Amino acid sequence: MSSSAGQQQIKTLKVLGEDVWKNKVEKINSELFTLTYGTIVSQLCQDYDRDFEKINDELYKMGYNIGVRIIEDFLARTALPRCTDFNTTSEVISKVAFKVFLNLTPTIANWSQSNDAFSLIISDNPLSDFVELPIDAMKSLWYSNVYCGVLKGALEMVQLDCDVSFVSDILRGDNQTELRIKLNKVLKDEIPVIED
Amino acid sequence: MQQQQQPSNITRRHDPSHPHHHHQLTEEQQQFQLFQESLPKINRLVYQMLLNEIIPTSISVQNRLDESDDNSDAEQLKKLSISEKPVVPSHKLVSQMHEIKNEGRYNNILERIRTIGFKLGCKIADLLVFANNPNLNFRDMDLLAIMKFVCRDVWKLVFGKQIDNLKTNHRGTFYLIDYSYQPIKNFALNDDTNKLSAEELEKKELKSVEPFLELPVGIIKGVLEALGYNAKETICLATYIDLPNEDASHYGFSKGISFHVQVTNTTRQQQP
Repeated sequence: MSSSAGQQQIKTLKVLGEDVWKNKVEKINSELFTLTYGTIVSQLCQDYDRDFEKINDELYKMGYNIGVRIIEDFLARTALPRCTDFNTTSEVISKVAFKVFLNLTPTIANWSQSNDAFSLIISDNPLSDFVELPIDAMKSLWYSNVYCGVLKGALEMVQLDCDVSFVSDILRGDNQTELRIKLNKVLKDEIPVIED
Repeated sequence: MQQQQQPSNITRRHDPSHPHHHHQLTEEQQQFQLFQESLPKINRLVYQMLLNEIIPTSISVQNRLDESDDNSDAEQLKKLSISEKPVVPSHKLVSQMHEIKNEGRYNNILERIRTIGFKLGCKIADLLVFANNPNLNFRDMDLLAIMKFVCRDVWKLVFGKQIDNLKTNHRGTFYLIDYSYQPIKNFALNDDTNKLSAEELEKKELKSVEPFLELPVGIIKGVLEALGYNAKETICLATYIDLPNEDASHYGFSKGISFHVQVTNTTRQQQP
């Protein structure tokens, strides 16, 4: 693909994301979302007695279960075809998916040499608005870990087996919130056994 | 019940957020509306999914707590051998609910969901109080006005619709009736095995959905607590009720929900 065609495609995705967000989505206050998520995390902290590994795990699972279902709405709403390469996948995630669901567009950065891994830099993360972590949680809690689960689940549904995890988080004192997506393999479409 | 119920239908109240009423709004209300529109927004579907996921997550937490109670050594071993456990899908977790024989476990799960609802209710009340809505004056609200606030503003914010009907005896007992409670609107069970009768299937369906009713129960208690009615002095229970006859099909789920709220001490405690 020539780079100008690539640029064109990215622009189209951006327009698509904005259009769906503007015209086809019922919107609510993000504050409500923020404090609902905060309530869930705080309950998990209580239940697991501040065992942050378990909390990360539970948030991830919760996200995964959301991801496998939210992809259906995403595909129905955007009518996007299958991505031809992982570059396009990254653009769709940042310009369309994040835009349509959370009204933000993370920056794509740090492509790996083999083009199978990239980072999303999330600024203005609605989950962590007004959130400040206590010192013990800062070391081991990935507060927004639900995102990793959602991306993992949704990508799996479109035959992409990926590892998704946080690299850094502003809440932990890092200077940006970075989420890493690494493609393990493209899952094969199942072909039904032919019966004679 | 010996008390006479006086239905007061609140659904026909004019909705100030509706754009067609622009010209009727006071300047204050218009400014409030502009302020509301300028706040950051997200997709309602995302919120709804997060809200619904509270239930399977609560079940999963209980499973895990029980597991580590039973055999903490085995848990340690598992941790060493397999770093990543497979995720149990939400629908499987939810369908476990009606199979749980142990009453303590069952109640722990419901309690956990209620607690999340309660904390959420407190925060929602704060959110709406500090939103500075000119249509709401919390200082002069009596219990009835507060229940109307729950039916209209709280429900609209969280579930995107108002409660369909509010009934009260004006002595601390309220019935809040929602004929199409949003989180379970699209729920229905299929009988793959064809072994269950329609009745048994419905019973199973209603039982599976039961934990989803605990979240709003908690929310109602939380809002009341935040507005000066101690949670120890309020009772809130959710039960199924039949849908009104005319056209049941457009409601989605086969039953409506009735929230029975009883406030034993109707004098409001002034917050410090």
